[in-house]
Amino acid sequence: MIINHPLLGPRDAAEFVYLGDASLIDRPDWQDPLAAEKFHDYLYLRDNPVGNHRELWYHEQGDRSWLVVTRNTLTHEIIKVELATDVARKRGRSR
Amino acid sequence: MSKSVSEPASEYRLHPMPFLGGYDQVFSGLSLREAVGLAIVSIALPRGNPAGPALEKAFGTALPEVGKSANAANDKYRLLRLGSEQVFVLFEHATADAESEIAALIGGAAYTTDQTDSWVALSVQGARVRAVLARICPLDLHGGVFAIGNVARTSMEHLGTIILRTDEDQFLLLSASSSAQSFLHALETSIRYTA
Repeated sequence: MIINHPLLGPRDAAEFVYLGDASLIDRPDWQDPLAAEKFHDYLYLRDNPVGNHRELWYHEQGDRSWLVVTRNTLTHEIIKVELATDVARKRGRSR
Repeated sequence: MSKSVSEPASEYRLHPMPFLGGYDQVFSGLSLREAVGLAIVSIALPRGNPAGPALEKAFGTALPEVGKSANAANDKYRLLRLGSEQVFVLFEHATADAESEIAALIGGAAYTTDQTDSWVALSVQGARVRAVLARICPLDLHGGVFAIGNVARTSMEHLGTIILRTDEDQFLLLSASSSAQSFLHALETSIRYTA
């Protein structure tokens, strides 16, 4: 499987480590009154889609960047690769 | 009382050794040698790269793009852009104070770390160099894809490796000094199997 890194070009999947669902970027606010409930959902509840799935990959044997990879779970086709910092900033995070 | 007991400890001299003892071998159509005396200093760029102008002034060249390298204006330093926030500086330097030289040069504009003792450097050159590396390197090293001056951080034989193309048929390989012998073995094996 080849992941087309936005900065480095096509790289073998063996250079990467898989973390999980990209929703992990949206960590709840620990000061929220409903923090306990939100952290429960954040930690334990996952969608298990058939088809396109957004997930976090770490380029450990490379430039050490975090990526958001959109992958089809049926075909393993990789549809989109973004830098996780760009995705996080678009969602209003400072970094 | 033997003479050796009476000799003060200060009489002992320790001499640094290269990780592979200055390995230097010639094979058919290929040479492989350890690059000795190469200092490596890592520069971590502050977020948003406010250090860009200061680094450009210090080295007399703009920071290369990720995956590219550049020589400083004085040709002493070679800058490898390994990631959006990481640059390695390679230069010939005999003593163990490489980091302070770079820190002084850039005036504290970014974060410097001495990496010299962490990496073994091997220079491999020859007409069949790409065939040798193709067995262990997952990257496409065709000249049209990986041109002279291109640099990449990848893994070969499960060992983290930095590869820099220094010429059409010459590459500089950096890998962890702690597994230098294993890395050398991987290269020697590949050289043998592609002979």
